[in-house]
Amino acid sequence: MRKITFMLVFLLAAGISGVFAQTRTVTGKVTSSQDGEGIPGVTVRVKGTTIGAITNLDGFYELNVRPDHRTLVFSYVSMKSQEVPLGTEVSINIVMEPDIFQIDEVVVTALGISKEKKSLGYAVQTVGDEELVRTGNANIMGAMQGKIAGVDIKPSSGMPGASSQMVIRGARSFTGNNTPLYVVDGMPIASTAPYSTGNSVTGSDVANRALDINPADIESIDILKGQAAAALYGIRASNGVVIITTKSGRGLAAGKPVVTFNHNTSFDVVSRTPDYQTTYAQGSYGVYQPTASYSWGPKIVDLPDDPNYGGNTDNQYTAEWGEQKGKYYVPQLDQAGLNPWLTPQVYNNWDDYFQTGHTVSNNLSVSQATSEGNFALGISMTDQKGIALATGMKRYNAKASGERNLNKNFTAGFSANFSKSNIDKLSGANDGSLTGPLAAPSSYNLKGTPYHIPGNPYRQIYFRGGSFDNSYWIPDNNTFNELNNRFFGNGYVNYIANLSEGMILRLRYQAGVDTYSTHLQDIFGFGARNNSQGVIDNYGTTYSLFNSTATANFDWKINSDLEFNAMIGNEINHSSSKSYWETGTDFNFGGWNHIGNAKIVTAGESQSEFRDMGVFGSLALSWKSMLFLNATGRNDIVSQMPRDNRTFFYPSVSLGFVATELPGLEDLSWLSFAKLRASYAEVGQAGRYLENYYLTPGYSGGFWLSEPIQYPIGGVNSYIPNSTQYDPNLKPQNTVSYEVGVDLKFFENRFGVDYNFSHQTVTDQIFPVPLAGSTGASQLVMNGGKVQTDVHEVMMYVTPVKTNAFQWDLNFNYAAVENNVIELAEGVESIFLGGFVTPQVRAGIGYTYPVIYGTSFVRDDDGNVVVIDNPGAWNHGMPMSGEPGVIGEVSPKFILGATNTFRFKDLSLSAVFEWKNGGEMYSGSNGLIDLYGMSAVTEDRESTFIFKGVKPDGTPNDIVRGGPNDPDAYQDLYANVLSDIDEYYIHDNSFVKLRELSLRYQFAKPIYKTMNIGVSLYARNILLWTALRNIDPETSQGNNNMGGSFERFSLPQTTSYGFGFDITF
Amino acid sequence: MKKKINIVLAAMLLMLAWSCSQDIMDDINKNVNDPTNVSANLIITDAMITSAFSITGSDLAFYASIYMEHNVGIWNQGYSAEIRTGEPISATTYNNSWNTMYNNLYNLKTIIEKCSEDGDESDNYYTLGIAQTLMAHNLATLTDLMGDVPWEEALQPGFIYTPKLDNQEEIYAEVFSLLDAAIENFNKESIIYLGAQDFIYGGNAASIKDWEKLAYGLKARYTMRLSLKDAQYGKVIEYANKSFASSAGQAQLNYNGSTMVSPFYKFFTDRDYFGASESFYNKLDARNDPRLDLFWEPHPSSGSFLLAPNGSPDQVQGLYSISAISNPTAPTYLLSYHEIEFLKAEAYVRLNQLSDAKAALKKAVTAAFQKVNIGLTADDAEEYFTDEVEPRFNSNALSEVMNQKYFAFFEEEAIEAYCDYRRLRAMGDNVIQLVNPKNVDRFPQRYTYGNSDVTTNVNVREAYGDGSYVFTEKVWWAGGTR
Repeated sequence: MRKITFMLVFLLAAGISGVFAQTRTVTGKVTSSQDGEGIPGVTVRVKGTTIGAITNLDGFYELNVRPDHRTLVFSYVSMKSQEVPLGTEVSINIVMEPDIFQIDEVVVTALGISKEKKSLGYAVQTVGDEELVRTGNANIMGAMQGKIAGVDIKPSSGMPGASSQMVIRGARSFTGNNTPLYVVDGMPIASTAPYSTGNSVTGSDVANRALDINPADIESIDILKGQAAAALYGIRASNGVVIITTKSGRGLAAGKPVVTFNHNTSFDVVSRTPDYQTTYAQGSYGVYQPTASYSWGPKIVDLPDDPNYGGNTDNQYTAEWGEQKGKYYVPQLDQAGLNPWLTPQVYNNWDDYFQTGHTVSNNLSVSQATSEGNFALGISMTDQKGIALATGMKRYNAKASGERNLNKNFTAGFSANFSKSNIDKLSGANDGSLTGPLAAPSSYNLKGTPYHIPGNPYRQIYFRGGSFDNSYWIPDNNTFNELNNRFFGNGYVNYIANLSEGMILRLRYQAGVDTYSTHLQDIFGFGARNNSQGVIDNYGTTYSLFNSTATANFDWKINSDLEFNAMIGNEINHSSSKSYWETGTDFNFGGWNHIGNAKIVTAGESQSEFRDMGVFGSLALSWKSMLFLNATGRNDIVSQMPRDNRTFFYPSVSLGFVATELPGLEDLSWLSFAKLRASYAEVGQAGRYLENYYLTPGYSGGFWLSEPIQYPIGGVNSYIPNSTQYDPNLKPQNTVSYEVGVDLKFFENRFGVDYNFSHQTVTDQIFPVPLAGSTGASQLVMNGGKVQTDVHEVMMYVTPVKTNAFQWDLNFNYAAVENNVIELAEGVESIFLGGFVTPQVRAGIGYTYPVIYGTSFVRDDDGNVVVIDNPGAWNHGMPMSGEPGVIGEVSPKFILGATNTFRFKDLSLSAVFEWKNGGEMYSGSNGLIDLYGMSAVTEDRESTFIFKGVKPDGTPNDIVRGGPNDPDAYQDLYANVLSDIDEYYIHDNSFVKLRELSLRYQFAKPIYKTMNIGVSLYARNILLWTALRNIDPETSQGNNNMGGSFERFSLPQTTSYGFGFDITF
Repeated sequence: MKKKINIVLAAMLLMLAWSCSQDIMDDINKNVNDPTNVSANLIITDAMITSAFSITGSDLAFYASIYMEHNVGIWNQGYSAEIRTGEPISATTYNNSWNTMYNNLYNLKTIIEKCSEDGDESDNYYTLGIAQTLMAHNLATLTDLMGDVPWEEALQPGFIYTPKLDNQEEIYAEVFSLLDAAIENFNKESIIYLGAQDFIYGGNAASIKDWEKLAYGLKARYTMRLSLKDAQYGKVIEYANKSFASSAGQAQLNYNGSTMVSPFYKFFTDRDYFGASESFYNKLDARNDPRLDLFWEPHPSSGSFLLAPNGSPDQVQGLYSISAISNPTAPTYLLSYHEIEFLKAEAYVRLNQLSDAKAALKKAVTAAFQKVNIGLTADDAEEYFTDEVEPRFNSNALSEVMNQKYFAFFEEEAIEAYCDYRRLRAMGDNVIQLVNPKNVDRFPQRYTYGNSDVTTNVNVREAYGDGSYVFTEKVWWAGGTR
């Protein structure tokens, strides 16, 4: 942070100099009380004038003063200002004390403007490099979790490269993008996934492009949460902005280069193992069925007595093999050419499957500053092996940045980042790769039974029928791979000039590119059970964004109390992308999973371009470091809207009032700082308008796992009207927001509270409004919807103990986000976000966003579950499947992140907790292991039970089911009744997690010459408690707006343990 | 300094002018990936394939197949439909089909507009006639299964969001007027043919006669359908006589087995929800029907022959035997020749012209025996007819005609079987016996409306209620009110 401070001061003060008659020269050195080193960039000013100088990189300054000059003022943003009377001395050396009220107080706001935090009329939050890399997380999203109030980061799984959803202060769009704009070193870059997982019920996850950012390269992250903070970014900024500043040589002392190497190794294990029943064998209604997906069979120990397959009984197998005392016949072993007779045993197929994953990352960087400029170079490599077979990620990052002072006015520089990643994934949900480990019967030895018949690797052996592949067959045959290459960077020229006393003009022009290509492969190999001859999908996108930003900034210190700043600028964003896909169906033969081996090949491509062009300006006025007024305006013109609705204006205004600058409050010992702030802003989002068009029809979906009809057919193609149509009157959706906040610091900054309330109303939401099928089209892209969000955020810190040797810091980030869908287009009650027909994730009027919709229990007016009262019926005394409706709300009541740090001399122990209170998810896996009779809740099949509820007449249910005379009741309940009621699959997924735990030792002094070393031990994602049974609550399907709410054969989360060290010299 | 500021401002204005002219922006936003207009012949191809594969051959037929006991649903949605929980009353069950039918009707409407007087292709009479024929077929299928449905106000996306329902009687009038208009168009002079875009009849000059025969055949089918309300058996015979004279001319979609796969086969490979129906097997068994050995085979993962009990199968995959005539190339019939002969046979029976009826029945059974995925011969049919069919015909002509029709419709023509069954029951002719015990009070008299309308169209939502009407409310032509 100090580096940024230095830069800011440097820029501000660069023009302050002057030569006058009758002057004499004063020189001196400014040093820090903390380390005795010289402080670069300190402003030395003659009081009451604008005559001044700044210290050089070693802390020395030189200043010409006149006899009438009385006092020198030394100021530096994070230090206490000092005034020194001018006598006749020619040398004045001073020692500056850190100003604890000001530390870390400079933040980067929109478009590269650095501001003192106390001047802001809106909330921003900063995450520093140490917090990000403390536990060696390779994914920047994961590294931010729990550290920012109001920011909800939902990971999908613990797989290498898994996507995460980041939403700031609730959602603004139903089906569109709700993730913030990422800006790296001034350049807006893509952060979302190039491919949505759509309904997320088939296929694999697709990584989001934030993955390309290496956490180790980051100097700091500033989060602009509200619309007022982000308004200068215009139409792209309604979801907030994540401003990332990468490491550079800028803040270094001029001199020799600094080399840093750091290494991390961590080991990953599956975070949670479901509780299984271990008594009952594969089968149904107590009868062993060796190909059933159910484990509702006989007791495992009784298998040898099974009439059809038991070794103790007379049946076709004992007739063939003779009596096999104590054993039973397993046809899969027979298929494998092995002895089919097995002694009953209990297997834990889950534990058998998962391996210990590991992550190794190495980062090397070199940076240097000289009197003429600075540079930084870095390379890093991350190698991850996942906990599931054949999963992993390799990522390489390289970065370079440099800056050179051309003359006293001009500076030029650049920043360049390259990333390459290769991710091996697995499929989930209806293509579940891990259905075997999750749900194979305890009686079946999944790992020990060969997964294909001898001599034919493409005929699988599996415990059950259906379309799922054997999890052990998958590594050799199915492929889900992503290959990404990414470059982003920019070059810039800065001009700075002192126009006249107190007036500084700064101009900046920056041009940058962000470009990536991504190539994905989804292959179900020859012999896959959902497509017996295999299918290959190759697809990818080449994307590039050109950005040009020009700004002119004018600072005017009108008098000692009043400062004025004006800025105008222009920004052009032009992006283009080209995507391709080729699908090959039915391989001629196994073992060569290539498009060249496919019998049917279809292909397509798509190109698109977008341009967004903005002019913007801001005006800022500050009075006595007490009142800060800021107004911005931006006009955007975007290509993707209809001709007459392309241009939009977005204003913002904010006010900050530092009460502790008031005379009466200035010297209170208990109150160090108090600020009130308020802001108002409007920002929008554009949709994409197209003229209605025709397309070649597709036949996917519904019952079909692959397309039964694929054009062109024998050279003949067909085109039909697109069932999505476009409203020619489309206009941008608008977000109007205000926020108010108070920032208080007490007792010399030992305790601080920052509270913020914001309210946003999003109107005219753009989304494909689902139409009644009878209209002949399925959806119409139009404006129609209103969402309101109230957010309470509290950021609090306290330092209960602080001595020279020991310090205890606590940091809290709390946010309660209430995000309500107020209106949808006429006739629309809900918007489909993903999932199945039921259950599905959707937006529904009158509910928070999003909700889970599905069939519910039949309930009476008091909400009691009503059971069937029909003596003799198989479902007597059991609940009923009722009308579909909203069965779960995804949004939590609040999220509280807490960081606890103990520092004892050179040792620090830090822990990050996160408590998500409330919120629900659909847990398909939980419901299915009940349905299959594999979960621990199905262990007891002999007791009687009374299902909690009421009878149709309203009296409490007293119908006793189960027990020796009613052996089928449990299977009927779980496999035929509850399995049909989606509501049964809905679970509260509140949790408390120990997200990060790290112990770090930083050697206080160089261990050799200038070599500094730090070592750390850490753990991540240690689950302490959750309301959800059996699986980690942060396991879900989908990289879009349904993320975090829907789980079905999803890939599990991991717990990681690791160590790292870093060497700097 | 002022000069510098002026330069900056001028540069910015220049950039503004360059980057935001409306024409440039239009150009940037131009959709280069899709056409905004195509000719009718390129649209109608998919209207044919959708009519056959999606509407006649897929979901609607799969459920009809369960209700009519051609198959037994043994897993998941199939099982729920079998035991009549959830699926028969849920608005989501037929939602995909509902949307597909209206989408296809919209495509056909687009073609009809293009080929009508004010359209771009006002002289494209044959394509117009084919579109009208297909529209009649789609619309009749829609109302046969769902009853009163949106029609007059339907198919106007972005203009009418909540179309009102129309009576089935009115919709049937529309069906006949479409077929009459089609026949008229087929008899106009034109030189525009569909060629390879016609997947049903090949699109040459001769194909127009075949399309006309299909239109007459559909008139026969739908005239028979209204027999409870307005019996016109003479008309049925008249129309049927103008329709197909052999299976060579029947309206069927053939699948090549690779880029087009037969729906029942695909349903097996992708879902595996069906087991062999015990009641259907028993009916054939009672007649020593040679198709008994051809219709079913053991499930590949079990290897042994096992029939699924109707209404009470175990929910287990890979256990029960499966259809052996579902194969990748088994065609879907928009209207088969054997159906034409069955229609005639029934009409003659109703008119008490039994020898004509018997002759038609024999032709029908022979054609049904010779379906490509059955492959029996005329001799096989002759023997079977003499030994089994004729004696039964002689004792109860209507019963044997309708039962033979029911057998012949296995398994691709399940929707027609379902419509026949409901019509016969309405007319008091309980000649086809279903055994699913759930039918006592839970035989679906109709299909539910699609969920897309139930959730967004108040008119349909009110008609749908809680969905339980499907067990009680018959469609208009079966004596119901809506």
